[in-house]
Amino acid sequence: MSSTEQGTSSAAPAEPTTAPESAAAPEVPESFYYVHGKDKVVHKVSAGALQHSALIHGMISNLGYTEEQAKANPFPFENIDGDILQMVVDWCNQHKGKPTPPEDTNLPKQKEKLFDLVLAVNYLEIKELLTYCCKQVAMMVKGKSPEEIREIWMIPTDAEDEAAEKEAKKRAGKEAAGETAAAAGDAK
Amino acid sequence: MKLSKFPYLVQKEIFDHIKHSNLFWLSLFSKTMKKFIKSSQTTRFQSISRITYSGFANKWYVWISYKSKNMYTMEEYEGTELIMTMSDLDYENYAYFQLNVSGKKIDFRVPDEYPFPEACFHPSHKESTFASIHNHLLDLFGDTVEYIWITPGYKYFIPQLPNLLLCVNIWPDRSEMVNNLEAFFNSSPTLKHINIKWIKLLLISPESRFYQAESIRIIKPRPPTVNIFLRNFKGRQATLFSCECEVSDLIEFMNRWRSGEHSGKLEYLSIRGTFGARHRNGVLNANFVKHIGPAKKPPTHSVPDLSAPEPALTIKPNTDPITSHFYIVRETDNRVASVSIQGPKFQFGVWKETEEEFLRMVK
Repeated sequence: MSSTEQGTSSAAPAEPTTAPESAAAPEVPESFYYVHGKDKVVHKVSAGALQHSALIHGMISNLGYTEEQAKANPFPFENIDGDILQMVVDWCNQHKGKPTPPEDTNLPKQKEKLFDLVLAVNYLEIKELLTYCCKQVAMMVKGKSPEEIREIWMIPTDAEDEAAEKEAKKRAGKEAAGETAAAAGDAK
Repeated sequence: MKLSKFPYLVQKEIFDHIKHSNLFWLSLFSKTMKKFIKSSQTTRFQSISRITYSGFANKWYVWISYKSKNMYTMEEYEGTELIMTMSDLDYENYAYFQLNVSGKKIDFRVPDEYPFPEACFHPSHKESTFASIHNHLLDLFGDTVEYIWITPGYKYFIPQLPNLLLCVNIWPDRSEMVNNLEAFFNSSPTLKHINIKWIKLLLISPESRFYQAESIRIIKPRPPTVNIFLRNFKGRQATLFSCECEVSDLIEFMNRWRSGEHSGKLEYLSIRGTFGARHRNGVLNANFVKHIGPAKKPPTHSVPDLSAPEPALTIKPNTDPITSHFYIVRETDNRVASVSIQGPKFQFGVWKETEEEFLRMVK
């Protein structure tokens, strides 16, 4: 695997932010994990930052990897574009150990990027970021004409919905016929 | 990327952040969109108390009113939200687009003055357009929401639509025929509130649907109108202003209510007149009127005022409070009505509680 190891994002806080512990408790070193997207670029992320993702948090809980094991076994998210995963990692780092603010204005303004981010965040189960993204998607149609809204969200008309349904039925029929023919062939 | 490609919960979360007026707007885009909005926003729609159509000669406004104000959106904070307008005026120079509303193609435009859709139609299509829009709203928001048509006069256009309630002002001139008003009452949608001032009020038939209105406000009824009205009213709330009525009228009314044979649905009655000590003594000394000791504090009666056209916008959404040491008990079900006569005002407030329950509220 051609991996380019990256540190935590440039926007990430320089020093780890962990909950204050009692003076008597021994200092536990922060553990790191590695993730990569479709572009195979590996991102090193702290367990604290990854807590935002319910999916990854569930995966790493009680895993007990050593630093070497973690480095050797990055979590692959082949369904997420590299730049989108980078955005997610940056967001998790920025909000590590902090309460999330009511608004987040640093989300992509470009429609396709925002939609891809929504899918990624939903997959990774990052609840707060999903809420920000959904708000941003909702805001896209504010003050827009019907034609503009149709275009932005690609909302089909009734006629288009009916045509798509007809097409889907036709395809399903063909597939069923194909399966029947194949089964008959096998029987011979 | 299509919005519909998002998983259901993501789509739902997106729609959760869209205000009701825009959800309504989106619901007009396609049957699939409407179906999705209906299914995903059911809980949110429970915050809506009523849809109001208010208008005059050529333009009608459609509003959403919320059960209570909250901080979820600015509109809900304000308690009401305009969702669309309807007009039969001819706007030649506007760009129209068509949307299918409950099976009827309707022209829409977005006016420069405000960012809400306006349905535009020829006057001859008024009835069918209102029906399509009403059916769409009824399907979207459901029948637990009240749909109210508010009109400034009985001669204005009022459509015949299912689940529609009517609030109307009726101030005819002296020459108006009783038959015309009777015909209006008998053909109108269910009457929610009537605000009326008419010298011939006493000529209305006791069987008329006028008396079945939920709430009636009468200005300047004259004897024997008050007595006739109190005998025949079958609704929940009535307010009579600038009245002339006798002590005997009030005692007769209370006695009828007490018997349980009349005014079974009544919640609140207020009569403003020229009452003096004679009225006060006569009413409160009637032998069936009961009394709570002066050292005790009686509970206060007040109910949501059905005459308030937009309760969320009204400064006084409830009826005037009645705190009285005097009450009567209905013989048929033991329920209590507080009776008050102070200054120029007689008030009568019916409790849901029985006498025993009512007395437990006395401190």
